[in-house]
Amino acid sequence: MKEKLKQIEQNVLSEIQIVEDLKKLDEIRVKYLGKTGELTQILRGMKDVPAEDRREVGSLANIVREQIEKAISEKLCDLENAKLLADMEKEKIDITEPSKGIKKGALHPLTRFNNKFMDICVEMGFTVIQGPEVETDYYNFEALNVPKNHPARDMQDTFFITDNILLRSQTSNMQVRAMEKMKPPFKIVCPGRVYRNDSDSSHSPIFNQFEALVIDENIGLKDLMLMIKEILRRLFGEDVKMRVRPSYFPFTEPSIEIDATCQMCQGKGCSLCKGSGFSEVFGAGVVNPKVLEMSGIDSKKYSGFAFGPGIDRSVMVTNKIPNIKYLFRNDLRFLKQMR
Amino acid sequence: MKISYNWLKDFVDLDVSAEDVAERLTVSGFEVEDVIYLNKHLHDVYVGKIKKIEKHPEADRLVVCKVDVGNRDVQIVTSATNVFEGAVVPVSLEGADLANGVQIKPSNFRGVKSDGMFCSGEELGIDDNYFEGASVNGILILPNDFVAGQKIEDALLLNDVVFDINVTPNRPDCNSIVGIAHEICAMFGKTFKDCDISYKTVGENVKDYVSVSVETANCPRYSAAYVKNIKLERSPLWLRSRLFAVGIKPINNMVDITNYILIEQGQPMHAFDYKYLDGYKIVVRQAGNNEEIAVLNGNTYKLDDSVMVIADAKKPVVVAGVIGGTNSCISDDTVDSVFECAVFDLKSVRLTAKKLGLRTDSSARYEKGVNINSPTLAMKRALHLVSELNCGQIVDGVIDVCSEELEKGEVLNISYSKVCKILGLEIPKEKVLQILNGLGIVSSLNGDVIKCVVPFIRDDIKNENDIAEEVIRIYGYDVYNNVEGTMFENSSITIGQFEPRLVLENYLKNILVNNGFYETLNYSLYTASACDKLLLDENDERRNFIRIANPLSEDLSTVRTVMAHALLLDISYNLSVGNKELRFFEAGRVYQPKSLPLTELPVENNRLSIAVCENGYDFFQLKGLIENLLVSTSLKYKIERSKQPYLHSGVSADIIAEDGKVIGWFGKVHKTVLKNYDINQDVFYAELDTDYLSQLQDKKYATKEISKYPVVERDIAVVVDEKITNGELMSAIKSACGKIFFDVNLFDVYRHSSLGENKKSMAYKILFMSEEKTLTSEEINQVMNKVLKGLDFRYRAKLRQM
Repeated sequence: MKEKLKQIEQNVLSEIQIVEDLKKLDEIRVKYLGKTGELTQILRGMKDVPAEDRREVGSLANIVREQIEKAISEKLCDLENAKLLADMEKEKIDITEPSKGIKKGALHPLTRFNNKFMDICVEMGFTVIQGPEVETDYYNFEALNVPKNHPARDMQDTFFITDNILLRSQTSNMQVRAMEKMKPPFKIVCPGRVYRNDSDSSHSPIFNQFEALVIDENIGLKDLMLMIKEILRRLFGEDVKMRVRPSYFPFTEPSIEIDATCQMCQGKGCSLCKGSGFSEVFGAGVVNPKVLEMSGIDSKKYSGFAFGPGIDRSVMVTNKIPNIKYLFRNDLRFLKQMR
Repeated sequence: MKISYNWLKDFVDLDVSAEDVAERLTVSGFEVEDVIYLNKHLHDVYVGKIKKIEKHPEADRLVVCKVDVGNRDVQIVTSATNVFEGAVVPVSLEGADLANGVQIKPSNFRGVKSDGMFCSGEELGIDDNYFEGASVNGILILPNDFVAGQKIEDALLLNDVVFDINVTPNRPDCNSIVGIAHEICAMFGKTFKDCDISYKTVGENVKDYVSVSVETANCPRYSAAYVKNIKLERSPLWLRSRLFAVGIKPINNMVDITNYILIEQGQPMHAFDYKYLDGYKIVVRQAGNNEEIAVLNGNTYKLDDSVMVIADAKKPVVVAGVIGGTNSCISDDTVDSVFECAVFDLKSVRLTAKKLGLRTDSSARYEKGVNINSPTLAMKRALHLVSELNCGQIVDGVIDVCSEELEKGEVLNISYSKVCKILGLEIPKEKVLQILNGLGIVSSLNGDVIKCVVPFIRDDIKNENDIAEEVIRIYGYDVYNNVEGTMFENSSITIGQFEPRLVLENYLKNILVNNGFYETLNYSLYTASACDKLLLDENDERRNFIRIANPLSEDLSTVRTVMAHALLLDISYNLSVGNKELRFFEAGRVYQPKSLPLTELPVENNRLSIAVCENGYDFFQLKGLIENLLVSTSLKYKIERSKQPYLHSGVSADIIAEDGKVIGWFGKVHKTVLKNYDINQDVFYAELDTDYLSQLQDKKYATKEISKYPVVERDIAVVVDEKITNGELMSAIKSACGKIFFDVNLFDVYRHSSLGENKKSMAYKILFMSEEKTLTSEEINQVMNKVLKGLDFRYRAKLRQM
């Protein structure tokens, strides 16, 4: 009997070893462990085994059965895994085929620059406000110390609607509106469109500016310089260099222009910066006390500074945009490059 | 403003190079836009004297000249026919690079060596106006007294450098040689050398020859002098060279003197031919409304009373401050002359120049502002030149009609500590004084107070800020390059924030970008015909648009009242260049006047406009997009058929807020509109009022407990008339379901002839749920019956028989 059990065990294990599909494996299970299976038969015939051997044979038979069951379940697992692998091999795809679903679009490069700049300003404590583009002569000029027929009006070609209403030629109108509306101390920045009656290969009649204004006690040129240095660093990186030149704006005194390392050539000198390695980024200055007084701010107590960059040029340079006309042409072939 | 380096040297002893001067001018606030070397093409050209001319042995048309060029003789082969032995001529030698591009090197003419070339006036870059004989077709024959061997640039006084300076409007005084010379003195610590204003007169009295009356308020000062027995001739070379350098054509001594004063002193002048002044009277007045004047540029202008003129007893003779008339100008037969040196109101001159479309050197100067004191010195300087050039006899006295008090220069008490505060820097007191005194602002310090005596020409200086600027621009802004410290050290902390509309706009923009849209930027100016293209009704408010008085072109003549035009143009353009699958948006403004003509500012309304031109895109995709844009706002809205004339009336909707305001619309664009924009595919368009949306409160969320009881589904399909909308059926279903209603969705619309004419089948999935118990079939069946009855009663909807 013992021999027979050993024999069965050996036969089953060798049969399982060579089995290669699930169906055959099941046949083996039925052949030995099924109702009429060989092992089942033996277990059923235990009553014929002499009583003194029964215990030993019985325990051996159970061990053999467990061995067979274990072997079968292991084999089953192996075969299922092999089938999964084979199936996956069959389902293999070309992963270089194109992606599906909606492809992301893009913000306009001007918006992107605007957002970056405004974020910097807000972090520095500025409130972002916007205001009218159709403006009165008073806010665009007079309150900024540019009376009618002042020679400084020649610096800007203005679109007029009536004698007294115009398309703003600068976002500086927002300086006056802010000073009238807000109580110092405050810091504001106003991005927006401005209009000039001037159009050629390097000028567009509509372009974008910012106007930033700080009014508080004890504000001086040094604050302006430190702030601009920080802004330039964040906009253009750690290595940016700054250069200051005196200039003239009727509403600031002293007035300056600030150049930064030309972003087209990184300061090496190119046609854009006429070889100087610098290009102009901001006009700036200390707010003229006359302007403060006109807007009802006590110039003895308060002082301030203002700066206003034209951003289109910076957008062009930082994105290496070859032609200013691209900014308003809205050609998908251009816009797609801004994703 | 063009400034001659040599001319500057009349007033300041300069020992620095022209490049250094240019650099220093720029960093001190006078941007030098260009540095022009008048001698750029004159190197290696010398004065030569022809000693001997011989025929060329091999060529009939050539001659061989032996020429003395100072330290040696050279041999020049030439074909020029106007040379002769003893002639003094310009000789270009090896290395010369002439104005017409010719480079000189020794050459060989049929076996005869030539060391260089004789030059014509053209090759030296000059003509007859500058130097007599320079325009002849041939070699320039120089005067006999020119010394052989001298550099031609020295001999012809072309050894000059010209700075083209951008003078800012606050410094009218620097539109002159003397103004810039004063600045240079301050920059380099030099002393200004005063002008020579001495002259001799022949006695008599100017008043016996001419009278002046000023009858307009636009001429605060008019002075006149009388010069008789004029010897009209070419000005001497030194004077011509000055004018030539700054781009003014020399004419004759009298006219050249007036131009010389304009450039040197910044004071425009005029010279009359005395004999043509009717009544020997000068009257400064506004023109009569029908008066005319023929002027020196060859044109005749009709005048009106906004134009100031200088007239004689009968007629206008000069458009004041702008241009002289032909009827009284200096000409070859002029014997006696009246010099004018006046101050005119800058606004008046500006308006006249604009009106006549005529900008002259004189008007440009007056528009910037001429100081009331200016004629005093300028007239003396002009008479000095008359005397020096010996071109006439000066009669005693200058008529000076002046209605304003002359400026003496203001005394300002400036706080030193305030200047430092403005700059945020401590510049040593002695340095401050040195700079101010150098600029001619006589300054002394007493405690914290700097007493400044500001010269009258610097009427731009009024307060501490002005003084701070003078100090720092001369001290040098580069001091800030290395400045350390904290910004706003002595000021307050402010909290930054964005305008709510910008926050909303950015939020919406990002949703759009993630849905495959590209942001566009369009001009907010367009042509009035946009309204026609978009089929706006005659009475549409948006036809009341703002027109620009001075537009660049018709295309940019109108301030937009409609957004759609721009995106349709963008689509049209993109299709025309072969771009496909277009999803665009723009955040922009429309400008709606309250009334026309404009008396108050228009309403500027911010909008988000969206356009799609893509195969297979449909209304409901657009609707889904709009819903997604609006879902996170607190906007409560309904939609109704759109009234936008440029949208397809059957495939478009207006978005209506709770207060009844139409705050947006979306739908398919009208076929005729598409045609008007040359678009041959469907376009879907939407627009939202972002100002309205940004004024809404933040959306508030209040969530409910999730029910323990299951949701039960029932499907139902009903056949209804085509005109019954989904919206109507859904709300009928909802109200019939009562308390246990959970949700309803349209999942199929079926149209077939078997349903009957103009009928459709609408299939809904209705979800029921109770918060109190599990619903039984019995309860649901009862409700479903109610739903069917309700739909039948209200819309004659019949359960579809499968």
